[in-house]
Amino acid sequence: MNDMAEKPQLLKVVDLTKDYSTRSGVHVTALPGVSMTLEDGEFVSVVGPSGCGKTTLLKILAGIIQPTSGQVLYRGRHITGAQRGMGVVFQSPVLMPWLKIIDNVLLPAKVIGLDRTAARATAMELLELVGLGGFENKYPFELSGGMQQRASIVRSLVHDPAILLMDEPFGALDALTREHMNVELQRIWLSRRKTVFFITHSISEAVYLSDRVLVMSARPGRFIRDLRISFPRPRDYDCTATAEFGDYVKQIRQLLVRHEDHNS
Amino acid sequence: MITQSAPTPARRPKTRFDDGPYLPLVLGTISVVLCLLVWQLAVSWIGVPHYVLPEPLGVFHALVDGLSGSVSDRGSFWYHLLDTFKTTAFGFLIGSAIGIALAALMSQSVYFHGIVFPYVVVLQSLPKIAIAPLFIIWFGYQIESKIAMAATLTVFPVLLNSLQGLTTTDSDRLEVMMALKATRWQTFWHVKLPSALPLIFAGLNLGIVYAQLGAIVAEFVGAQKGMGVMMLQLQSVSDTAGVFAVLVVLATTGYLLITLMRTIHRHVIFWENTASKSKTQSG
Repeated sequence: MNDMAEKPQLLKVVDLTKDYSTRSGVHVTALPGVSMTLEDGEFVSVVGPSGCGKTTLLKILAGIIQPTSGQVLYRGRHITGAQRGMGVVFQSPVLMPWLKIIDNVLLPAKVIGLDRTAARATAMELLELVGLGGFENKYPFELSGGMQQRASIVRSLVHDPAILLMDEPFGALDALTREHMNVELQRIWLSRRKTVFFITHSISEAVYLSDRVLVMSARPGRFIRDLRISFPRPRDYDCTATAEFGDYVKQIRQLLVRHEDHNS
Repeated sequence: MITQSAPTPARRPKTRFDDGPYLPLVLGTISVVLCLLVWQLAVSWIGVPHYVLPEPLGVFHALVDGLSGSVSDRGSFWYHLLDTFKTTAFGFLIGSAIGIALAALMSQSVYFHGIVFPYVVVLQSLPKIAIAPLFIIWFGYQIESKIAMAATLTVFPVLLNSLQGLTTTDSDRLEVMMALKATRWQTFWHVKLPSALPLIFAGLNLGIVYAQLGAIVAEFVGAQKGMGVMMLQLQSVSDTAGVFAVLVVLATTGYLLITLMRTIHRHVIFWENTASKSKTQSG
């Protein structure tokens, strides 16, 4: 985190907090004050138990919700609200059922007002990249869950954002499709080199995909470890069966379990 | 609030009608024929006076009589039906346009909502048919006052259903637009309006029925022509069979209008059935 001179900090989060008050007037702290940085081109995952505030953090970065206090610095500039330099992939694909796949993935281009022909060419290229070439004129309901989520990844990339925010994008998929999507995502990431902020429940998914894994404790969530994963790229999925991979997974699991014990 | 869940296609469980889809149709036909037969026999044997309850055959004759005249013939159904239909169509179009536009503005602006809401509540609480005499004072005995009545009755079911549809957009879809920094009206056109279409159509399905109702009521209150006028004329000469025949015509046009709306509904919201189908298949 201190090697600022080496790599430019794309995103910096300082002391971010989020409080909610419930209907009964009880104050709930979703985020107690977290800090982190994302460097350009990095793939960073956050793992943590349910309700630790991972999604809250992502939604603040996406500009969907406002923090109670703290700062988000994007390219050194203090920002509030949504940035068009970011693309978001949600837990479910959230495609619009009345739009064809091509029109769904072109929605950001339309909203932002990009050149239509250029955006269409980018979209076709990205659909090809995720293996959806030839499906552009289908409607979402004609596609499987995994294909829909791939289309939503294309939608998040079509306006060429610098940062991709992904909120458990493969959580709803079955185990085999999920593995396949992990391999695909690494391939897409290697070819596009976006900075990715990836939230997941799955420790092995985080280790397989990431340059760094941030481990978050149970509510109220704090980062308890920033772990660098030093497998070479591209990573074969078989690397998940190696002892070194197992060590990473074990280390993270122990951190999570230990913190749960402390809390209870 | 008047809401009606969008009509789902009757996908009957197989266990219920093992004898195929024709059984209900056959039973329905037998039931209607039997009912008409009992009615006919009851009237002719028990001797109910014809001005109280006409025979089905008498109604049939009145129907044939009424339908055999030409559109320009004041005594034919067509002459009056055309006017009632025009009233229903214009009233429906104007009423639903106003209803959807008001709902759109109310959902987009809290200020507009605040300003308009008291009038909506007052007018909605009012039995709107009671405004008919006022419309005659304002618009006269011609088709204009009838259209005003039909439109007034159409506005509310369309407005309330559309408003509900436009204010209950799935938050995930809104978040997609928020993350893109979309403007309020971009979100409206790209997400809120299409998402609300099922409820808007539920409102329109009610609206078309209300439009016809408004047309007939306005014709009762005071008009030159229309099926309501025809009915009053038949009633004044105790032609009960004729009144029944008019009712048959109105039931038929009502059915045709509803069927037309359902067909449009299915074509516009093509994703509705398919989405639920794929859900049940995967579940």
